[in-house]
Amino acid sequence: MKPRERVLNFLEGKPVDHLPCMPITMMYACKQIGARYRDYCTDYRILAEGQIRTAEKFGFDYVNTMSDPAREAADCGAPIAYFDHQPVALIEDQALLADKAKLLALKTPDPLGGGRMHNGILALRLLKERVGNDLIVEGWVEGPIAEAADLRGINTLMTDFFDDVSFVHDLFSFVVGMELRFAREQITAGADVIGIGDAAASLVGPRIYQEMVLPYERQLIEGIHSMGGRTRLHICGNTRSILGPMGSLHATIVDLDSLAPIGEARNQMGPQQILLGNLNPVTVVRDGTPVTIRAELAECHRAAGDRYIVGAGCEIPRDTAEENVAALAQYAQSVTQ
Amino acid sequence: MPDPKPLYDAVLTGNAQEAKALTQQALDEGVDPLVLVNESMVPAMDEVGRRFQANEYFVPELLISARAMKAALDLIRPLLASRGNQPVGRVAIGTVKGDLHDIGKNLVASLLEGGGFEVIDLGVNVPPEQFIATVKDRQANIVAMSALLTTTMPAMKTTIEALKQAGVRDQVKVLVGGAPITQKFADEIGADGYSENAVGAVALAKQAIKA
Repeated sequence: MKPRERVLNFLEGKPVDHLPCMPITMMYACKQIGARYRDYCTDYRILAEGQIRTAEKFGFDYVNTMSDPAREAADCGAPIAYFDHQPVALIEDQALLADKAKLLALKTPDPLGGGRMHNGILALRLLKERVGNDLIVEGWVEGPIAEAADLRGINTLMTDFFDDVSFVHDLFSFVVGMELRFAREQITAGADVIGIGDAAASLVGPRIYQEMVLPYERQLIEGIHSMGGRTRLHICGNTRSILGPMGSLHATIVDLDSLAPIGEARNQMGPQQILLGNLNPVTVVRDGTPVTIRAELAECHRAAGDRYIVGAGCEIPRDTAEENVAALAQYAQSVTQ
Repeated sequence: MPDPKPLYDAVLTGNAQEAKALTQQALDEGVDPLVLVNESMVPAMDEVGRRFQANEYFVPELLISARAMKAALDLIRPLLASRGNQPVGRVAIGTVKGDLHDIGKNLVASLLEGGGFEVIDLGVNVPPEQFIATVKDRQANIVAMSALLTTTMPAMKTTIEALKQAGVRDQVKVLVGGAPITQKFADEIGADGYSENAVGAVALAKQAIKA
């Protein structure tokens, strides 16, 4: 069974030969080809090469176009910092929407307009062309609160929830419109799955999450599904207090960071929700051994039940030993179904 | 002595305007500024920390409470300084060189300030030389470093080495934190303490000062 068939069958509840394996690699994938991370973020050919090499070497079932959180913000005009060997980052004290009034004039960037979003789409097209018959090709968009934080500055956005709720709604609406447009172009380019990163959602607690964030995540996920896309929701950090609402979104895959117990996610999201990951990427994946990683995976799998995809809770650190990364796919392949 | 509850409540609920007005009113009435700090503001931030730890407060609530505390402290600090009152300790805090992610650092800084520390916030992407200069020039007795990325963690070790080279390592306690940091890593690089969360960082800083 080819990896792509394996994952698609698994998502649809059909028989597969063994568990799928879809861990997030970015800097780790870049390291595999000896490139500078700056180039991985800015040159789609390098990203594609790193992803393909990594998936083939370790037996992963997919490739992914994510490199950093600043693609959309950069195209909006937000000041960003490039580093040779780490991800592109937003410069918060020069946040694009430090002045809220600027939102009124902010235009949705064209995802095919030659900017960083376009670079992501070119990566997707190249991945689709080179490995799209064999592997799942996953695109990526920022979620409403993550992207709002990129544009407004995360510290300021956190106080906006108390100071100016209507501005937050306006900002989230802008973001969802932009991300849906970006997602549509990625699906057109051949994305099998659209990953949604909404890291800051884990910072706000259940009340603000449900009242302010969830409705926009729902718009985004339902919008992508209505385009025929599949979704992978990833919220970095501790999501324990929002697991139930997250489950109500019915994302195709919930990629769970390590701070929320996966058994609780299963209980709150129901038996059909596909869960992914949940290993601590630092203490388990990087600092562990193949033996301890397989044991932790077995425990995650037991707590999550059958609808589980192997992965780490977040990005695999760049300095993880190869045998540790290989242990992920080895576990997946050992669980025949 | 005035009723400490209104200012306590203003800080706890993040009402900066109210906190500032109540503080000004109390000072105008001749209330000792240290009483406002000790009876209202520190207990309020302790409760904020408790609620944060208990998942009753989250980052937005913590930040607006910190903002209210700062609004009141801005009125009080010059008065305390002119009387020669010393803070619990003086902390130079920042995200390490190469790391621009500061929300965790900001939470720790706010709670340290609420715990009676003078916090010298060096911001993000702080080179070792800046930590050293702050230790020398401002007599900081704690250096607190934050990193969100596994790729910037090594800058903590570099900073500790630089503190040694500059001959000031023995003058300060070095505390580290951030998502990828572990106690094992803190031990390996020779830090004096590590906390996995912001509330624990305050207790750690208080312990470090006593040690």
